[in-house]
Amino acid sequence: MKLNRESKIQIGVLLLPGLLVFGIFTFYPIVRLFWMSFFKWDFGSFLNQDFIGLENYRTVLSDRNFMTAFANTLVYTIITVPAQMILGLLVAILVNAVSRFKIGFRVAYYLPVITSWVIASLIFRYVFNTEGLLNYFLTNVIHVTSQNIHWLDSRWGGMAVAMLLGIWKGIGWNMVVFLAALQTVPLELYESASLDGAGGWQKFVHVTLPGIKGTVLFALVMLTIGGFNVYTSTKLITDGKPGHDTEVVLTWMYYKAFSNGKFGYSAALSFIIAFVLAILAVVQFKLMQNKE
Amino acid sequence: MRISRQKVMQLLIYVLLIAGIAVVVLPMIYMISTSLKPNGALYEYPPRFFPKLKEITGENYRYILSQKKFIGNFVNSLLVSTITVFASAIVSSALAFCIARFRFPGRNFLFVFIILTMIIPGTTMIVPQYELAVKLHTINSIWGLIPFYVAWVIPYSTFMIKGFVENVPRELDEATYMDGGNVFTVYFHVALPLIQPGIASVSIFNFLTAWEEFPWANTVINDDLKRTLPIAISGFFGQHQFTQWGYVFALSVLSLIPILVVFISCQRFFIQGLTAGSVKG
Amino acid sequence: MKERKKILAILLTTVTCVAAMCGCGKSPVNSASDSESQETATVTDSEEPAEEVTINFWHHYSAQSPENATLTEVLIPKFEEENPGITVNAVSHEWADLHDKLLISAESDTLPDVARLDSAWVPEFQKMGILVPLNKEMSDFGEVSDSLLESAMTTAEIGGDQYGLALNTNTKILYYNVEMFEEAELSVPETMDEFAEACRILSGTKENGQQVWGYDEPALSGWNLCPFIWSMGGAITNEEQTQASGYLNSPQTVAAIQMFADLYKEGAITGWNSGDIPMTDGFGTGRYAMLLEGPWKVSEMAGAYPDFDYATAPVPAGEGGSLSVLGGEDISMFQSAHKDAAWKFMKFMTSAFAQEEMAKCGQIPCNKEALESDTVKEADFAPYIEQLDHAKSRPTVASWSEIDSELSVAATAVVNGEKTAQEAMDELAAKVDALLAE
Repeated sequence: MKLNRESKIQIGVLLLPGLLVFGIFTFYPIVRLFWMSFFKWDFGSFLNQDFIGLENYRTVLSDRNFMTAFANTLVYTIITVPAQMILGLLVAILVNAVSRFKIGFRVAYYLPVITSWVIASLIFRYVFNTEGLLNYFLTNVIHVTSQNIHWLDSRWGGMAVAMLLGIWKGIGWNMVVFLAALQTVPLELYESASLDGAGGWQKFVHVTLPGIKGTVLFALVMLTIGGFNVYTSTKLITDGKPGHDTEVVLTWMYYKAFSNGKFGYSAALSFIIAFVLAILAVVQFKLMQNKE
Repeated sequence: MRISRQKVMQLLIYVLLIAGIAVVVLPMIYMISTSLKPNGALYEYPPRFFPKLKEITGENYRYILSQKKFIGNFVNSLLVSTITVFASAIVSSALAFCIARFRFPGRNFLFVFIILTMIIPGTTMIVPQYELAVKLHTINSIWGLIPFYVAWVIPYSTFMIKGFVENVPRELDEATYMDGGNVFTVYFHVALPLIQPGIASVSIFNFLTAWEEFPWANTVINDDLKRTLPIAISGFFGQHQFTQWGYVFALSVLSLIPILVVFISCQRFFIQGLTAGSVKG
Repeated sequence: MKERKKILAILLTTVTCVAAMCGCGKSPVNSASDSESQETATVTDSEEPAEEVTINFWHHYSAQSPENATLTEVLIPKFEEENPGITVNAVSHEWADLHDKLLISAESDTLPDVARLDSAWVPEFQKMGILVPLNKEMSDFGEVSDSLLESAMTTAEIGGDQYGLALNTNTKILYYNVEMFEEAELSVPETMDEFAEACRILSGTKENGQQVWGYDEPALSGWNLCPFIWSMGGAITNEEQTQASGYLNSPQTVAAIQMFADLYKEGAITGWNSGDIPMTDGFGTGRYAMLLEGPWKVSEMAGAYPDFDYATAPVPAGEGGSLSVLGGEDISMFQSAHKDAAWKFMKFMTSAFAQEEMAKCGQIPCNKEALESDTVKEADFAPYIEQLDHAKSRPTVASWSEIDSELSVAATAVVNGEKTAQEAMDELAAKVDALLAE
């Protein structure tokens, strides 16, 4: 169809608000961020910055604290993403198999997703307090340990609580996504598999999984991005303590920018993260395609 | 024999699901029960999951509701989230419609860029965005939140809604053009009505995003009365001060109510929206 | 068409829900409006020639504290009544947040007019050039200055100019649980050795299995560690505040850090971990036997644990004597302020009336007249005022905030056994040398 002048103007009018908002509040900041990452940009030199090339990137990559934060984020992602997907898929399959209360189950499992990060983090912090309910339960009720466990006081203890929170909060989303995907797997495939004498597990591996592959990939990419987005939970649960041992990349970026005023450093860090995520996304797509 | 085995399986599944719910919902029940305890009982020994019956008090709620600033925080959050939802619905649906239906210069670049920005964590842009908010004089104002939230949710919303637009048969467009319709008529009278389930589903997501956003609001807003709920809730923590968990959780419970209302009333669309997205994805 | 109606219905429901939430949210406002009356100040007589000004005042009185209640319910209404046309917008930030927010705001030109500053921050902000030298710009500065304690005023003096008014002064002393000391038949520790011994004896397990600690320290920054470092004869820097090597890693400083690490390992002290019981609750419920805290703790304890039996004593003495850390806040004005109104507010906050009101919540006044008032005499600030003679201020250098955060990271590594005290302090001293040279 040939677009006449009127149509072109109307398309322009429709596009304009989106382009304006997106251009000003997303595109411009990204360009600006890229620019900042090559300058010595901090509290002392906000008006008058020196171009320092890749120096910020070098500083970030040789910073021990950044490496800790990066390792924490990576571990967080590697553990929470598969855990959420497996548990979410399991719940989806179970909910799919019941005949009653489907909606009730769906809503109940979805509750953690709509609980805000701030609230969820505070609940977890309260429960995992050294003097909290969980430790009381472990030591005085079921007696698995005689001493209170210092959940929040060490690097991996603090991270473990944040990871548990991430998994707890993520199951519902995965359940819904997989529940939707399960509806798209043709029933005939299960029937013919049954005729071939396949058991439950074999049906799952040979029929269900291939059938929901697209969704698995979608969830994998979204959740990996989500894993690198972790901020509020670690910020509110441990605030990076002890030392800076439980920082994740975003809390560390925020700390460097707004407590130390190293804006150039933070900008470079942001780009390193974006770069890593882009590569991960590409790799995930490639891996899934190869399996085909 | 076979039937009874199936029944056993069904029963087992129910048991598993209910056990799972118990674990999933436990923290939230604990939150509610703590919000009903007097503040002094929070470090009691032994700790209790449920308060003693005679201990149950509405004191925490009374306190929260009697504080003008918390009411203000509540209203701020509602305003910010609602405006974000409507603004992003308008903006994203128009973008999605144009990208799905027309070829215009820069279309591919725009779409690729939208996808790319989905990958970059929003928080990483906080430094230049802060600088921008300063230039626009929107620091310490809800107008410093809304445009940024809209910009954050545009990529995901546009991506999802585009899927819905593509499901609208092109023949409907053509028929409208034949009848003398123009781009506006097609958008407003053909596309919009049909993609509304998509808009509704991303709107729930957008509402939640704006409702619970923490780092940006914490950076931009200063005044007590201009804060949104997440900032107000985290504001209970002072460094050397003891924390009144009863107040924290009472405010938390109250702040969950709007989300629950929105979610339960629209959950049908929500599932639909995710389905479309995941299949397209 | 039918589908469209449905969608419309859904959207309408959402809007209605939202509106309903607004509605039910709003109703209590009316009932609460008597407690605060911000609107009244903005409505001034049209005949009044005074210009309408709103001044922003940032502080770190905790949002739920008695100090904050006094500020918003007593002081500000009184000030606004006395000064029609001036509205005060008081904003409470958490202590560390306030510091960061001020830094960011300085960069973005969104500073408040007036702020209550931890005196340790004044050099940093002065160096950034955002504070107003009051002695140069305010004609009646001398009068105001004369009404305030000289010693406290020095915390805001840099290079002969005065960058703030002393708002309150304080220092930390030892608080202890009387019952626990009596049960253990212990006398109050007067020396650091006795203190360490008391921590060991008082810690352990209650009959019900709960762990008890001899001492609580809620963080490991300079404010927390300095009393121990100094009392044990150590130091952060030299007198000139130009060098840390040889001071921050001196045997005495290392010994102080080591004492913390040893006591922590033995389960005798705790408090700085994310999962620990907050100080007031832990002390009030008998889980922590001792604390070092300031005068504000008295009103806090009275509010949260009114029946709890505790007493106070000077900081235990070591090689360096009994030395506590000098606290206290200054009230300062920023360059971007509405200067006349801001100055009026600062004068009001340091006036005898305001200082006496704040004294009721445990803030030791810097106003000489208020210090002589009955309120102060009844408040029994004597132990703190005595300790003030044996209190030092943290290094008054612009890079203090950064040094402070490095110090707490280093100390954390030591108590967690990742580094020896000597190693950590050597590394830290080198870092601090560099920061001091900047």
